Amino acid sequence: MVRLSDLHPNEAEHLRARADAMPELKCEQWLTPRPLAESTVALVSTCGMHRRDDPPFTLGAVDYRMIPRGVDWADIIISHLSTNFDRSGLADDPNVAMPLDRLEDLAANDEIGAVSKWHYTFMGGHPQPQMFEEAGQEVGRHLASDGVDVALLVPI
Amino acid sequence: MATASISLIREQTERVRPPRALWVPFPLGRPLGIPGDTNFQLDVLRATLGMLSTATEPVIEDYPIEAPDAGPEVWACPLTIEVESDESLAGRLLQEVARLRPWATETRRRRGRTLFGLSGAGPDQVDDVATMLASVAESGNVTDQLTTDIKWAHPMPFLLRHLAEDLRSFYHEAIASQPGDIPPNHDALNKWIFGETVLGEVLLTIGEHLTIAGKTDPKVGIVRNLMIPEGL
Repeated sequence: MVRLSDLHPNEAEHLRARADAMPELKCEQWLTPRPLAESTVALVSTCGMHRRDDPPFTLGAVDYRMIPRGVDWADIIISHLSTNFDRSGLADDPNVAMPLDRLEDLAANDEIGAVSKWHYTFMGGHPQPQMFEEAGQEVGRHLASDGVDVALLVPI
Repeated sequence: MATASISLIREQTERVRPPRALWVPFPLGRPLGIPGDTNFQLDVLRATLGMLSTATEPVIEDYPIEAPDAGPEVWACPLTIEVESDESLAGRLLQEVARLRPWATETRRRRGRTLFGLSGAGPDQVDDVATMLASVAESGNVTDQLTTDIKWAHPMPFLLRHLAEDLRSFYHEAIASQPGDIPPNHDALNKWIFGETVLGEVLLTIGEHLTIAGKTDPKVGIVRNLMIPEGL
């Protein structure tokens, strides 16, 4: 489990300091989405996953990579630089952090309307999350252009 | 568009206050809880996406089910990987890799994929990666680019971090095929690699070189923190 008290004291202090430095989002306009069964859903993750021939994430990266719907998991690699999260689960089943197959399950069961053609990954853990604003807005425009109704945000 | 998010560090989510967040009591690296458990993962997704039809203001809900921990914290490697102690560091690391290879190969066969290759090495170039890491540990040179036929995907010293990750992936693959044993969790894996393996000895030695080189070039020193987990 992730409770700060369960982590190494240095790591817990690091994550607590990160929390203190994070700005409040200040949700200015509350959006009531259409019914989930009619919504197209995209996944946006900070797990640092990408296709094998994509450029890897580098120190301080605030850019993103695109993962197509139906990607072959054998083509996936993780260049996130942190050593402080478990990768053995991801190696066994990528859906434990990037649940693309589960979104397909929900779509097949008519619980969501559709799975987006594209999904997006960043490398989380940056000390200044505000630095992601430009790339985040760009991803938002791409998602809107693709008719995505819901962005599912997943950390690592 | 609307968003729904999973939260692993509740303190950070409380600070940011995103529109809809489900805090999950799972380990870092496993936001959907349990690898290979479709129903568990679907339940987490339903709980997260379900907030889209219930929330009317920014809210954090707590997922009520604890995932079984990712293996025992106290764990002993069932493999015998003792190597000849009079060999060079490179020789001992290659012996260790050879002992693990059949098990790692079995895992790759079962999964049909591998996370190995981040450094630029091909999936079968495990010995090359081990040789490179051992050579840096022995020479102490953590900045000059490593010359080999492999087209490395990173410059030095950052390449060291990715070489280390590749070998760690290979070791994890070897452990994942152990019959009748629950795989160790993240901390137990680190304790095993850094406390009981030649790979750990090699990485800690490189870490010392990075610390020394980092006194004149802080960027080099950073690589140690990207290669060796907190507390080791």
